[in-house]
Amino acid sequence: MNIDDIKFLFYTITHPINGFYEIRHHGKGNIKLSLLIVFLSGAAYCINRRYASFIVNPADPMEVNSILIIFSMFVLFFLFCLGNWSVTCLMNGEGRMQDIITVTGYSLLPILLMFIPATLFSQFVAADEQTFYYLLINIAVIWGALLVICSNMVIHNYTLTKELKTLILTLAAMVIILFIILLFYTMFQQLAEFIKSIYTELIFRV
Amino acid sequence: MKRYLIIIIAALVILTEPLTVYAEETLPYDTYIYDYKGKVVHTPAAYIPSKTVSGKELSCGSFKSPQDMFIADDGTIYVADTGNNRIVVLSNDMEVLRIIDSFIGDSNKKDTFNAPSGVCCTDDGDLYIADTNNKRVVVLDGSGNLVKIISNPQSEVLSSNFDFTPLKVAVDYAGRVYVISSNVYQGIMAFNQNSDFMGYFGTINVRISLTQIFWRLFSTKEQRARQLQYIPTEFTGIDIDNEGFVYATNFDSTGGQAVRMLNPKGIDVIKQNPSGRRSLSGDVSFSYGGDYSGASEIVDVKIQENGIYSLLDCNRGRIFSYDSEGNLLYIFGGMGTQEGTFNQPVAIESYHGLMYALDASRNAIFVFEPTEYGSYINEAVGLRYKGDQTKAVEIWKKVLELDSNNEMAYTGIGKSYLSSGDNKQAMYYLKMGMNKEYYSIAYKRYRNELLRANLGWILTAVLVSFLIYFLFKPLIKSRIRRIR
Repeated sequence: MNIDDIKFLFYTITHPINGFYEIRHHGKGNIKLSLLIVFLSGAAYCINRRYASFIVNPADPMEVNSILIIFSMFVLFFLFCLGNWSVTCLMNGEGRMQDIITVTGYSLLPILLMFIPATLFSQFVAADEQTFYYLLINIAVIWGALLVICSNMVIHNYTLTKELKTLILTLAAMVIILFIILLFYTMFQQLAEFIKSIYTELIFRV
Repeated sequence: MKRYLIIIIAALVILTEPLTVYAEETLPYDTYIYDYKGKVVHTPAAYIPSKTVSGKELSCGSFKSPQDMFIADDGTIYVADTGNNRIVVLSNDMEVLRIIDSFIGDSNKKDTFNAPSGVCCTDDGDLYIADTNNKRVVVLDGSGNLVKIISNPQSEVLSSNFDFTPLKVAVDYAGRVYVISSNVYQGIMAFNQNSDFMGYFGTINVRISLTQIFWRLFSTKEQRARQLQYIPTEFTGIDIDNEGFVYATNFDSTGGQAVRMLNPKGIDVIKQNPSGRRSLSGDVSFSYGGDYSGASEIVDVKIQENGIYSLLDCNRGRIFSYDSEGNLLYIFGGMGTQEGTFNQPVAIESYHGLMYALDASRNAIFVFEPTEYGSYINEAVGLRYKGDQTKAVEIWKKVLELDSNNEMAYTGIGKSYLSSGDNKQAMYYLKMGMNKEYYSIAYKRYRNELLRANLGWILTAVLVSFLIYFLFKPLIKSRIRRIR
């Protein structure tokens, strides 16, 4: 990770089509940087929840668990990447797993960029000016969503309609993956229980 | 070394031992309130049971399913002893004054009551009795002589076979009579001094939910005919304040709004707390199945001094008190068989700070007295209602000593600081009270204050930076050119 990677990151979020094309075909992305962005945007979200002014943020400080928020951010991120990869593999997507992780991470940068200024700004607003705060937050969310759509479209070489279909299927895939994980979890739990009961049985009989 | 370890552990055990207050555990019910998020927060008790009076201990014999109670301004207690077809009049220290079970009717014949389930007394001693099964309202004067009878109302809006079955009755200062009648969902029936029906009053609008509309779209005509009709809920209890506003309660199974404050035109003008959702319906959160489930079923309302009013819930036996701005003050009461708990509460009254509740199944009057905590809240709310904010602060601080989580006390102190101009203190207290609306006002004033105080500095800084920019602009530009 060097200064050029970071410069290219900012080039990407302002020129998404070109930027994501370069990442896919000329290997300009950096997967470590992408994971760092996921971590930092998780942190930015925590900071927003904890330190945004009382007027826009009625959250109880006791309820903000930063480790849980960052952890679930990563879980969601990898779930999305995995779901997207599984779906696009079947739908003639050209992107590799490495590309998917890189571009999705890059797409989260607006959250990092807007949430911290919004948190700072919230310290200076009264209730009737809170629209400006929400404007910043909404810009972050919309920008991020557009980047996700755009990046996926470019790296898989999809049309917009096919891209939207893929995204919906990706969401379904995420749910299915979660379901399977849950299934395995309960199954292994029962298996463990079974082995444990055999063990106790043996202990008492032998 | 070992000795130190023991000392440290002992110190830790002593320090981490929670300080418990045992006094509340003797209470037969939970006392709690809802915080800004609608979560239950336990509070000290505002009212505790002081005595229970059943008819057995009195000389009048046991009550039988009494349905209503009224306490006049002089403290006289009127109980509509429905099952025994009589009105029992008690003095305020629970001595039987008289028993009204008959009166001399129109044609000098003795007339009796049949299941009277509502009673009300005016300032000049006239007694209004909703004589339910005789389908009339009987008005007697202070010595038990018949004044008039309201029955068989005639009007264009009433059908010819209209069934007038009065349940609850109330009278305002102008002698208008408001009657809640069984199976009438159009509103409260209002009568003028001459016993003429004036019309319905305070009709509740029907609210149809989106899902109901959705299912109606898909149902056939036959299905629609067999579906429940969407009719408004009936009123359950009524009380009138000194200014002539009618407070009336109704069941709201969705937990929306269970009490209305009707102005003389019959329009609801009650104040709701803007931040609290579903704030005027008793319990904010409740389960939808199992024991004690469903929204609170508010059966009666009592207006007290200083705009405080209390609602009685017959579902979970709780009494909810609100101030004139719709803030929930305290909750107490519960179902059970212990002293001070209800089985089927039907009516609530108050007199000189004491709260009286009538139970139709346990045939008894329960009296509750305010604790230190409850009376401080009442006092502070009263002071604010009268506009004496500075005095109220002292009382609110005492409330905070007893319950340091009391949002209302923090808000009360904050508002007072706000009106006295101490915006920074106001901000602190309003934030502790989680009052976004007033916090914002305090913040805005504080911000303006800061800006005004430091305007000189800010303007100077801006001016100086402009000057520097324009003075050094050519220099910077040439420097850049040189680098290139």
